Amino acid sequence: MERNTISRIKDFIIEHNTVLIFVVMLVFSASMSDSFFTLNNLSNLIRQIAPIGLMSFGMLLVILIGGIDLSVGSVIAGIGVAFALLSYEVYFPVAFALSLLIGGGIGVITGYLIAYQKVAPFIATLAMMTIVRGLGYLFSKGAPITVGVYSESILNLGSGDVLGVPYVALILVVVFGILYVVLHYNVFGRLLIAIGSNEEAVRLSGVNVRRYKFWVYVIIAVLTALAALIIVSRTGVGTPNIGVGMELDVIAAVVIGGASLSGGKGSLLNTLLGVLILGMIGNIMNLLNITSYLQQLIKGIIIILAVVFQKYQK
Amino acid sequence: MIEVLGVKKSFGGVRALRGVNMEVKAGEIHALLGENGAGKSTLMKIISGAISRDEGVLKIDGDEVYFKNTQAAKEKGIGIIYQEFSLVPELSVAENIFLHQLKNHLFIPWKKLRDNSRKLIAELGFELDVRKKVKDLSIADQQIVEISKALSEEVRLLILDEPSAVLGPAEIHKLFRTLRALQKRGVAIIYISHHLEELFELSDKITVLKDGVSVATVSTGETTKDQLVELMLGRSLNTMFPDRTHLQSAKHREVLFSISGIRVPGSNDPVSLKICSGEIVGVGGLVGSGRTELLRAIFGADPQSFKKVTKRDAILRVESPKAAVRSGIGMVPEDRKQHGGILECSIRENISVANYPKLNKGMGFIRREEENAIVAALKEKLNIKMVALDQALKDLSGGNQQKVILAKWLNTEVELLLIDEPTRGVDVGARAEIYQIIHDLAESGKAILMVSSDWEELLGLPDRVIVMRKGTICGEVLKKDLNEEILLRMAIGEEYK
Repeated sequence: MERNTISRIKDFIIEHNTVLIFVVMLVFSASMSDSFFTLNNLSNLIRQIAPIGLMSFGMLLVILIGGIDLSVGSVIAGIGVAFALLSYEVYFPVAFALSLLIGGGIGVITGYLIAYQKVAPFIATLAMMTIVRGLGYLFSKGAPITVGVYSESILNLGSGDVLGVPYVALILVVVFGILYVVLHYNVFGRLLIAIGSNEEAVRLSGVNVRRYKFWVYVIIAVLTALAALIIVSRTGVGTPNIGVGMELDVIAAVVIGGASLSGGKGSLLNTLLGVLILGMIGNIMNLLNITSYLQQLIKGIIIILAVVFQKYQK
Repeated sequence: MIEVLGVKKSFGGVRALRGVNMEVKAGEIHALLGENGAGKSTLMKIISGAISRDEGVLKIDGDEVYFKNTQAAKEKGIGIIYQEFSLVPELSVAENIFLHQLKNHLFIPWKKLRDNSRKLIAELGFELDVRKKVKDLSIADQQIVEISKALSEEVRLLILDEPSAVLGPAEIHKLFRTLRALQKRGVAIIYISHHLEELFELSDKITVLKDGVSVATVSTGETTKDQLVELMLGRSLNTMFPDRTHLQSAKHREVLFSISGIRVPGSNDPVSLKICSGEIVGVGGLVGSGRTELLRAIFGADPQSFKKVTKRDAILRVESPKAAVRSGIGMVPEDRKQHGGILECSIRENISVANYPKLNKGMGFIRREEENAIVAALKEKLNIKMVALDQALKDLSGGNQQKVILAKWLNTEVELLLIDEPTRGVDVGARAEIYQIIHDLAESGKAILMVSSDWEELLGLPDRVIVMRKGTICGEVLKKDLNEEILLRMAIGEEYK
């Protein structure tokens, strides 16, 4: 009997490891710093994690179908530069929409290469990563561009709030909600998981697998463009060298959330927890004035923990 | 030496063993007979400590034992040889035989190792160059190394899992000699096989396993083949197939699908065929004769430039599986794990995956109640044994997985169903059910084109059989003229008149 209880506790820990790591982080953060649970800090935390959050949601879809997207960090920079340049030409809503469109265009190219030309996702997105980064440098001539007067109102997006809830938090919640419904109640989401589990069987059931793959890469690119705009809204500049290595943080969040890189397995809620865990590490370290080098170490350890737990899942 | 009493074991909801009794004495060769899925492997895994039993008693020399792992079983003298050998190909024979002792030495005691290996092999009545690498040996010799290895570990009960499957006739003879030598040393042997001839030649006793129950243990000298077959199947062979004789004379059937211009890779002659509504057409031929390629080409799974498909004289464009499904064509692929089922996904999703366009109530949202009703009805109709519709497909037995994949196509408006090896890896009981399902489909006016390597199946179910050789159709036989010899002669290209 006692043995049984122990093994049940063990199963519970293994099954819900993301939640547990999250709770541990939360308790740890709250006990280490009095200012963690202040409204100010929490809304600051949400603002910090929102871009990574949006990208991670997109990355979850990509990873669900067994793909990967290495280009997201570069897209952050490319779209930032694009928006900054547009802000000298057109008003904010137009610049905003055009930036998302350009992001979608990048996704169309990536998706076409992967879905219709059968280029391996790793290679296709690696190429897009350098191409988009290169374009960012070319168009900005290598220097950060301050947002122009026409579109200065983007700064409200970064700092503004409704009844104390930051705009960016609302964006995150809305996107989360839409994707949650899609993954749980929609054919699109169901087929993504099925494709990740056995692409060929799905194809031989008469499903146009390529179309679904294509759209997944478009979605992540648009979400990344949205993330880029949120970053610009906080800094007020489009910077060509921002977001280097960001794709790794995004992938890490998804993996900490329990998704399998071979596809077919992952949860949106756990991905959000993964994002929060990573965000809290950064946040609490800043509050405690601890060097960022240590952050990297702890991030690495948490990734290892998450993956080891997954190994023991049935 | 070993006693198994009332052992039971379940995986998820599937009861693999439902009460097995078996006793093996020292120096006895005891055969274990049963169809695929009867529970032979599960029983052997329990005896060798690879998995634990749910209920029942396992006794060795009269004492009840619980094995935590295979190592614990080994210490009690139980060894098992799987079809896939556990030898290290790059190491020599001698090293392989004494692999378990090598860790005790700092330097390899080559001379002692080789002498002892030679001695062990000689005791079995053979001679091998113990310095040779294992990968350079024939399969039969590798088996001798496996057995010697078991001996070096002081085995008292040796289990062999279908050892003859990988061997030729001469090699089987060699294996039997080895096993008799072991028997003389007082080793108990459990020999798993479903080749009856072998068991009559080799074994002292035979235990028959059916659906997880040990239905009988008989002395080999006092039984007959017929008795064993009946014990094993629980029925005789000719009740497996639904009666279709009343259908075969029906000449008034309309041609439903007409297919032409298909080129199977490696052949220049295009293939064409016609199939009527309500007809079951079998496709025979050797492995590699292009049967699977033919089905895949019809279904649009592989691109074909000159294919022409008509349904009731209307020309169809079937350039992709999606187009095929739209045109009323479905396919059950040969390889269930790779191409047929989505193993990690639920039964519900596997049944619905080809039917989403119909279940869509707009924007990709699914009519849940309708889906549940359809899936539940199909589950009843095909008698799919499962715990819940949300269960992953991989938790089902082969036969039930196959039923799920058939259910997927029953769920669409399929008119031509292509089935590649309908009962591969399916146990006997489910096999008869699947034949009935196929028969019922044809009864309802669908056309069935089924590839099979199982002669019995090809003779028993279809109304006519077309035979393929080297990528083309080399002949066609009606049911009334069918026999195994005709099919074989056509398949290997011998003239038959």
